[in-house]
Amino acid sequence: MQIAILSGKGGTGKTLLSVNLSYLAENGTYVDCDVEEPNGLLYYQLENKKTEEVSIKIPVVNHDLCNGCEKCTDFCKFNALAFILDKVRVFKDLCHSCGGCKLVCPTNAISEIDKTVGYIHSGKIFDTNIYSGEMIVGLESGIPIIDELLNQVKNSSRNVFIDSPPGNGCSVMESIRDSNYCLLIAEPTIFGLHNLNMVYNLVKVFNKKVGIVINKASENSIIEDYALENNVNIIGRIPMDLELGRINSEGKIVASYDEYKPLFTDILTNIYKELNL
Amino acid sequence: MIIALPTTTSGEKSFISEHFGRSNFFYIYNTETKTGEVYVNANKDGQGGVGVKSVEFILKHGTNILITPRVGEKAMNLLSETDVKIYTNTDEIVKENIASFLNGELKEL
Repeated sequence: MQIAILSGKGGTGKTLLSVNLSYLAENGTYVDCDVEEPNGLLYYQLENKKTEEVSIKIPVVNHDLCNGCEKCTDFCKFNALAFILDKVRVFKDLCHSCGGCKLVCPTNAISEIDKTVGYIHSGKIFDTNIYSGEMIVGLESGIPIIDELLNQVKNSSRNVFIDSPPGNGCSVMESIRDSNYCLLIAEPTIFGLHNLNMVYNLVKVFNKKVGIVINKASENSIIEDYALENNVNIIGRIPMDLELGRINSEGKIVASYDEYKPLFTDILTNIYKELNL
Repeated sequence: MIIALPTTTSGEKSFISEHFGRSNFFYIYNTETKTGEVYVNANKDGQGGVGVKSVEFILKHGTNILITPRVGEKAMNLLSETDVKIYTNTDEIVKENIASFLNGELKEL
Protein backbone atom coordinates (compact mmCIF):
# COMPACT_ATOMS: atom_id res chain seq x y z
CA MET A 1 0.00 0.00 0.00
CA GLN A 2 1.22 3.45 -0.89
CA ILE A 3 0.28 6.72 0.79
CA ALA A 4 1.50 10.00 -0.69
CA ILE A 5 1.81 13.06 1.51
CA LEU A 6 1.37 16.30 -0.40
CA SER A 7 0.96 20.02 0.11
CA GLY A 8 0.48 22.99 -2.15
CA LYS A 9 3.38 24.85 -0.63
CA GLY A 10 6.68 23.96 0.98
CA GLY A 11 7.19 24.03 4.74
CA THR A 12 3.67 22.86 5.55
CA GLY A 13 4.60 19.60 7.22
CA LYS A 14 4.93 16.91 4.53
CA THR A 15 8.20 15.60 5.92
CA LEU A 16 6.98 15.88 9.54
CA LEU A 17 3.95 13.78 8.68
CA SER A 18 5.57 11.22 6.40
CA VAL A 19 8.55 10.63 8.70
CA ASN A 20 6.36 10.18 11.77
CA LEU A 21 3.78 7.97 10.07
CA SER A 22 6.41 5.71 8.48
CA TYR A 23 8.13 5.50 11.88
CA LEU A 24 4.95 4.34 13.63
CA ALA A 25 3.54 2.09 10.91
CA GLU A 26 4.13 -1.66 11.05
CA ASN A 27 6.46 -2.53 8.18
CA GLY A 28 6.83 1.11 7.30
CA THR A 29 8.80 2.44 4.35
CA TYR A 30 9.71 6.09 3.92
CA VAL A 31 10.40 7.42 0.40
CA ASP A 32 11.67 10.98 0.00
CA CYS A 33 10.50 12.06 -3.46
CA ASP A 34 11.23 15.73 -2.80
CA VAL A 35 14.47 15.20 -4.71
CA GLU A 36 15.22 18.90 -5.17
CA GLU A 37 15.49 19.45 -1.45
CA PRO A 38 15.35 16.09 0.32
CA ASN A 39 15.35 16.41 4.10
CA GLY A 40 14.00 13.07 5.36
CA LEU A 41 17.52 11.84 6.10
CA LEU A 42 17.86 14.58 8.72
CA TYR A 43 15.42 12.49 10.78
CA TYR A 44 16.38 9.06 9.54
CA GLN A 45 20.14 9.29 9.97
CA LEU A 46 21.31 6.14 8.23
CA GLU A 47 24.58 4.73 9.45
CA ASN A 48 25.16 2.30 6.60
CA LYS A 49 23.47 3.78 3.63
CA LYS A 50 23.68 2.42 0.13
CA THR A 51 24.01 5.02 -2.63
CA GLU A 52 23.18 4.34 -6.27
CA GLU A 53 23.47 6.68 -9.23
CA VAL A 54 20.46 7.47 -11.39
CA SER A 55 21.21 8.22 -15.01
CA ILE A 56 19.31 9.09 -18.16
CA LYS A 57 20.17 8.65 -21.84
CA ILE A 58 21.16 11.73 -23.82
CA PRO A 59 22.09 11.96 -27.50
CA VAL A 60 25.57 12.53 -28.90
CA VAL A 61 26.04 13.47 -32.53
CA ASN A 62 28.73 12.08 -34.79
CA HIS A 63 29.35 15.16 -36.94
CA ASP A 64 31.13 13.10 -39.64
CA LEU A 65 27.96 11.07 -40.26
CA CYS A 66 25.51 13.99 -39.92
CA ASN A 67 24.26 15.27 -43.28
CA GLY A 68 22.54 18.35 -41.82
CA CYS A 69 19.00 17.29 -42.74
CA GLU A 70 17.66 18.77 -39.46
CA LYS A 71 15.11 15.97 -38.98
CA CYS A 72 16.26 15.59 -35.39
CA THR A 73 16.06 19.31 -34.55
CA ASP A 74 12.55 19.49 -36.05
CA PHE A 75 11.50 16.38 -34.15
CA CYS A 76 12.65 17.52 -30.70
CA LYS A 77 9.75 19.30 -28.99
CA PHE A 78 11.93 20.28 -26.05
CA ASN A 79 14.38 22.28 -28.17
CA ALA A 80 17.25 20.15 -26.89
CA LEU A 81 18.77 20.05 -30.38
CA ALA A 82 19.57 23.01 -32.61
CA PHE A 83 21.38 23.29 -35.93
CA ILE A 84 23.85 26.10 -35.40
CA LEU A 85 26.97 26.96 -37.39
CA ASP A 86 26.50 23.83 -39.57
CA LYS A 87 26.44 21.48 -36.59
CA VAL A 88 23.72 19.82 -34.54
CA ARG A 89 24.19 20.98 -30.94
CA VAL A 90 22.80 19.05 -27.99
CA PHE A 91 21.50 20.99 -24.98
CA LYS A 92 21.51 18.16 -22.51
CA ASP A 93 19.68 20.02 -19.75
CA LEU A 94 16.65 20.34 -22.02
CA CYS A 95 16.66 16.68 -23.14
CA HIS A 96 13.79 14.49 -21.86
CA SER A 97 15.50 11.26 -22.99
CA CYS A 98 12.75 10.20 -25.38
CA GLY A 99 15.24 8.79 -27.90
CA GLY A 100 13.26 10.19 -30.83
CA CYS A 101 16.18 12.03 -32.42
CA LYS A 102 18.07 8.76 -32.73
CA LEU A 103 15.07 7.12 -34.43
CA VAL A 104 14.52 9.85 -37.02
CA CYS A 105 18.19 10.25 -37.99
CA PRO A 106 18.60 8.80 -41.51
CA THR A 107 22.40 8.47 -41.28
CA ASN A 108 22.66 6.89 -37.80
CA ALA A 109 24.70 9.85 -36.65
CA ILE A 110 23.04 9.90 -33.21
CA SER A 111 23.89 7.54 -30.40
CA GLU A 112 23.11 7.73 -26.69
CA ILE A 113 25.26 8.03 -23.59
CA ASP A 114 24.43 7.96 -19.89
CA LYS A 115 24.23 11.16 -17.94
CA THR A 116 24.04 11.00 -14.14
CA VAL A 117 21.17 13.12 -12.85
CA GLY A 118 21.07 12.14 -9.19
CA TYR A 119 21.34 9.53 -6.48
CA ILE A 120 19.19 7.22 -4.41
CA HIS A 121 20.28 6.64 -0.83
CA SER A 122 18.71 3.71 0.95
CA GLY A 123 18.96 1.81 4.20
CA LYS A 124 17.07 0.64 7.25
CA ILE A 125 16.63 2.20 10.69
CA PHE A 126 14.05 1.61 13.51
CA ASP A 127 12.58 -1.19 11.33
CA THR A 128 11.69 1.39 8.72
CA ASN A 129 12.99 1.02 5.16
CA ILE A 130 14.33 4.32 3.85
CA TYR A 131 14.75 5.55 0.30
CA SER A 132 15.83 9.11 -0.40
CA GLY A 133 16.29 10.67 -3.83
CA GLU A 134 18.74 13.46 -4.46
CA MET A 135 18.93 15.49 -7.64
CA ILE A 136 22.23 16.98 -8.74
CA VAL A 137 22.00 20.72 -8.07
CA GLY A 138 21.51 22.83 -11.19
CA LEU A 139 19.74 20.23 -13.33
CA GLU A 140 16.28 20.98 -14.65
CA SER A 141 14.25 17.87 -13.82
CA GLY A 142 14.22 15.37 -10.95
CA ILE A 143 11.57 13.17 -12.51
CA PRO A 144 13.91 10.31 -13.57
CA ILE A 145 14.98 10.01 -9.91
CA ILE A 146 11.38 9.93 -8.64
CA ASP A 147 10.59 7.36 -11.32
CA GLU A 148 13.44 5.12 -10.13
CA LEU A 149 12.49 5.59 -6.45
CA LEU A 150 8.95 4.43 -7.19
CA ASN A 151 10.20 1.48 -9.24
CA GLN A 152 12.20 0.31 -6.24
CA VAL A 153 9.09 0.18 -3.99
CA LYS A 154 6.57 -0.73 -6.68
CA ASN A 155 5.92 -4.30 -5.61
CA SER A 156 6.56 -3.75 -1.93
CA SER A 157 4.15 -5.41 0.48
CA ARG A 158 5.09 -2.84 3.12
CA ASN A 159 3.24 0.33 4.10
CA VAL A 160 4.97 2.91 1.92
CA PHE A 161 4.82 6.61 2.75
CA ILE A 162 5.78 8.96 -0.08
CA ASP A 163 7.14 12.38 0.91
CA SER A 164 6.11 14.32 -2.22
CA PRO A 165 7.63 17.51 -3.59
CA PRO A 166 5.62 20.69 -2.89
CA GLY A 167 3.17 22.21 -5.36
CA ASN A 168 1.22 20.57 -8.17
CA GLY A 169 3.80 20.30 -10.95
CA CYS A 170 5.13 17.38 -12.99
CA SER A 171 7.25 15.98 -10.18
CA VAL A 172 4.23 15.86 -7.83
CA MET A 173 2.15 14.06 -10.45
CA GLU A 174 4.97 11.56 -10.89
CA SER A 175 5.29 10.99 -7.13
CA ILE A 176 1.60 10.01 -6.71
CA ARG A 177 1.69 7.69 -9.73
CA ASP A 178 1.24 4.45 -7.75
CA SER A 179 -0.44 5.88 -4.63
CA ASN A 180 -3.54 4.28 -3.14
CA TYR A 181 -4.20 7.30 -0.98
CA CYS A 182 -3.22 10.98 -0.97
CA LEU A 183 -2.90 12.83 2.29
CA LEU A 184 -2.94 16.61 1.91
CA ILE A 185 -1.43 18.71 4.67
CA ALA A 186 -2.39 22.36 5.01
CA GLU A 187 -2.22 25.29 7.42
CA PRO A 188 -5.41 27.17 8.33
CA THR A 189 -4.54 30.44 6.61
CA ILE A 190 -5.89 32.04 3.43
CA PHE A 191 -2.61 31.25 1.68
CA GLY A 192 -2.70 27.70 3.06
CA LEU A 193 -6.24 27.22 1.75
CA HIS A 194 -5.29 28.54 -1.69
CA ASN A 195 -2.45 26.02 -1.94
CA LEU A 196 -4.59 23.19 -0.59
CA ASN A 197 -7.15 23.91 -3.29
CA MET A 198 -4.46 23.66 -5.99
CA VAL A 199 -3.22 20.29 -4.87
CA TYR A 200 -6.75 18.98 -4.16
CA ASN A 201 -7.71 19.77 -7.76
CA LEU A 202 -4.65 17.82 -8.90
CA VAL A 203 -5.42 14.63 -6.97
CA LYS A 204 -9.04 14.80 -8.15
CA VAL A 205 -7.82 14.67 -11.76
CA PHE A 206 -6.04 11.40 -10.92
CA ASN A 207 -9.11 10.03 -9.08
CA LYS A 208 -7.14 9.38 -5.91
CA LYS A 209 -8.67 8.74 -2.51
CA VAL A 210 -7.89 11.78 -0.43
CA GLY A 211 -7.85 13.09 3.13
CA ILE A 212 -6.66 16.28 4.83
CA VAL A 213 -4.44 16.86 7.85
CA ILE A 214 -4.38 20.36 9.35
CA ASN A 215 -1.02 21.49 10.65
CA LYS A 216 -0.66 24.37 13.14
CA ALA A 217 -4.40 23.90 13.76
CA SER A 218 -6.12 26.93 15.31
CA GLU A 219 -9.69 28.22 15.88
CA ASN A 220 -9.70 29.31 12.25
CA SER A 221 -12.01 26.82 10.54
CA ILE A 222 -11.37 27.64 6.86
CA ILE A 223 -9.84 24.24 6.15
CA GLU A 224 -12.72 22.42 7.88
CA ASP A 225 -15.21 24.51 5.88
CA TYR A 226 -13.38 23.66 2.67
CA ALA A 227 -13.31 19.94 3.56
CA LEU A 228 -17.05 19.98 4.28
CA GLU A 229 -17.81 21.77 1.03
CA ASN A 230 -15.78 19.26 -0.99
CA ASN A 231 -16.84 16.21 1.00
CA VAL A 232 -13.29 15.29 2.09
CA ASN A 233 -12.50 13.89 5.52
CA ILE A 234 -10.20 15.63 7.99
CA ILE A 235 -7.84 12.83 9.02
CA GLY A 236 -6.06 14.69 11.78
CA ARG A 237 -5.06 17.97 13.41
CA ILE A 238 -1.52 18.78 14.48
CA PRO A 239 -1.80 21.62 17.00
CA MET A 240 0.28 24.78 17.05
CA ASP A 241 2.71 23.49 19.70
CA LEU A 242 6.06 25.15 20.32
CA GLU A 243 7.54 22.07 21.98
CA LEU A 244 6.58 19.86 19.02
CA GLY A 245 8.14 22.41 16.70
CA ARG A 246 11.32 22.51 18.77
CA ILE A 247 11.75 18.71 18.82
CA ASN A 248 11.13 18.51 15.08
CA SER A 249 13.55 21.33 14.31
CA GLU A 250 16.29 19.40 16.11
CA GLY A 251 15.89 16.54 13.64
CA LYS A 252 14.21 14.26 16.16
CA ILE A 253 11.19 12.11 15.41
CA VAL A 254 8.29 13.65 17.31
CA ALA A 255 6.34 10.37 17.47
CA SER A 256 9.16 8.78 19.49
CA TYR A 257 8.07 11.01 22.41
CA ASP A 258 5.24 9.48 24.48
CA GLU A 259 3.24 12.71 24.65
CA TYR A 260 3.10 13.10 20.85
CA LYS A 261 2.83 9.47 19.82
CA PRO A 262 -1.01 9.29 20.08
CA LEU A 263 -1.37 12.31 17.79
CA PHE A 264 0.28 10.41 14.93
CA THR A 265 -1.12 6.99 15.85
CA ASP A 266 -4.61 8.49 15.50
CA ILE A 267 -3.80 9.86 12.05
CA LEU A 268 -2.44 6.47 11.00
CA THR A 269 -5.56 4.67 12.32
CA ASN A 270 -7.79 7.11 10.45
CA ILE A 271 -5.92 6.50 7.18
CA TYR A 272 -6.28 2.73 7.59
CA LYS A 273 -10.00 3.22 8.24
CA GLU A 274 -10.35 5.26 5.06
CA LEU A 275 -8.65 2.44 3.16
CA ASN A 276 -10.80 -0.19 4.91
CA LEU A 277 -7.72 -1.91 6.34
CA MET B 1 24.59 43.67 -43.30
CA ILE B 2 21.62 41.89 -41.66
CA ILE B 3 20.08 43.26 -38.45
CA ALA B 4 17.67 41.15 -36.36
CA LEU B 5 15.28 42.50 -33.73
CA PRO B 6 12.73 40.67 -31.52
CA THR B 7 9.47 42.64 -31.74
CA THR B 8 6.13 42.79 -29.94
CA THR B 9 3.99 43.42 -33.04
CA SER B 10 4.79 43.05 -36.71
CA GLY B 11 6.64 45.61 -38.78
CA GLU B 12 9.05 48.50 -38.51
CA LYS B 13 6.70 50.51 -36.27
CA SER B 14 6.68 47.82 -33.60
CA PHE B 15 8.37 48.14 -30.23
CA ILE B 16 11.25 45.86 -29.30
CA SER B 17 10.24 42.79 -27.28
CA GLU B 18 11.38 42.51 -23.67
CA HIS B 19 12.32 38.88 -24.37
CA PHE B 20 14.57 37.57 -27.10
CA GLY B 21 13.42 33.92 -27.23
CA ARG B 22 9.78 34.61 -26.37
CA SER B 23 9.15 37.61 -28.62
CA ASN B 24 6.05 37.47 -30.83
CA PHE B 25 7.91 38.35 -34.02
CA PHE B 26 11.37 38.85 -35.47
CA TYR B 27 12.17 41.75 -37.77
CA ILE B 28 15.08 41.00 -40.11
CA TYR B 29 16.46 44.10 -41.84
CA ASN B 30 18.89 44.15 -44.77
CA THR B 31 20.94 47.36 -44.84
CA GLU B 32 21.96 46.92 -48.47
CA THR B 33 18.45 46.61 -49.92
CA LYS B 34 17.04 48.79 -47.09
CA THR B 35 14.15 46.34 -46.69
CA GLY B 36 12.85 44.41 -43.71
CA GLU B 37 10.96 41.12 -43.39
CA VAL B 38 8.63 40.12 -40.56
CA TYR B 39 8.67 36.56 -39.21
CA VAL B 40 6.39 35.01 -36.60
CA ASN B 41 8.41 33.46 -33.76
CA ALA B 42 7.22 29.87 -33.99
CA ASN B 43 9.01 28.84 -30.80
CA LYS B 44 7.75 31.51 -28.46
CA ASP B 45 5.50 29.24 -26.37
CA GLY B 46 7.99 26.38 -26.02
CA GLN B 47 8.68 25.20 -22.49
CA GLY B 48 12.44 25.62 -22.79
CA GLY B 49 15.25 26.26 -25.21
CA VAL B 50 13.37 29.06 -26.97
CA GLY B 51 16.47 31.28 -26.88
CA VAL B 52 18.54 28.52 -28.52
CA LYS B 53 15.93 28.11 -31.28
CA SER B 54 15.87 31.87 -31.81
CA VAL B 55 19.65 31.91 -32.24
CA GLU B 56 19.26 29.10 -34.78
CA PHE B 57 16.60 31.18 -36.56
CA ILE B 58 18.54 34.45 -36.79
CA LEU B 59 21.72 32.65 -37.89
CA LYS B 60 19.77 31.02 -40.73
CA HIS B 61 18.93 34.51 -41.91
CA GLY B 62 22.59 35.46 -41.90
CA THR B 63 22.27 37.94 -39.05
CA ASN B 64 25.31 40.10 -38.26
CA ILE B 65 23.72 42.41 -35.68
CA LEU B 66 21.16 41.60 -32.98
CA ILE B 67 19.35 44.46 -31.23
CA THR B 68 17.69 43.25 -28.02
CA PRO B 69 17.36 44.28 -24.36
CA ARG B 70 18.69 40.95 -23.07
CA VAL B 71 19.64 37.39 -24.03
CA GLY B 72 19.36 34.26 -21.86
CA GLU B 73 22.34 32.23 -20.73
CA LYS B 74 22.22 29.37 -23.27
CA ALA B 75 21.57 31.70 -26.19
CA MET B 76 24.32 34.03 -25.03
CA ASN B 77 26.87 31.21 -24.85
CA LEU B 78 25.97 30.22 -28.39
CA LEU B 79 26.09 33.76 -29.74
CA SER B 80 29.51 34.30 -28.20
CA GLU B 81 30.80 31.55 -30.53
CA THR B 82 29.51 33.44 -33.55
CA ASP B 83 30.41 36.76 -35.15
CA VAL B 84 27.01 38.23 -34.27
CA LYS B 85 27.33 41.50 -32.33
CA ILE B 86 24.61 42.34 -29.81
CA TYR B 87 23.40 45.89 -29.14
CA THR B 88 20.98 47.18 -26.51
CA ASN B 89 17.86 48.85 -27.89
CA THR B 90 16.27 52.14 -26.85
CA ASP B 91 12.58 52.54 -25.90
CA GLU B 92 11.75 53.61 -29.44
CA ILE B 93 10.26 51.63 -32.33
CA VAL B 94 12.15 49.25 -34.65
CA LYS B 95 12.74 51.86 -37.37
CA GLU B 96 14.26 54.34 -34.89
CA ASN B 97 16.46 51.64 -33.35
CA ILE B 98 17.85 50.66 -36.74
CA ALA B 99 18.55 54.33 -37.50
CA SER B 100 20.22 54.80 -34.11
CA PHE B 101 22.37 51.71 -34.67
CA LEU B 102 23.48 52.91 -38.10
CA ASN B 103 24.37 56.29 -36.54
CA GLY B 104 26.50 54.47 -33.99
CA GLU B 105 24.26 55.53 -31.10
CA LEU B 106 23.48 52.09 -29.59
CA LYS B 107 25.62 50.47 -26.92
CA GLU B 108 27.01 46.95 -27.28
CA LEU B 109 25.44 44.52 -24.80
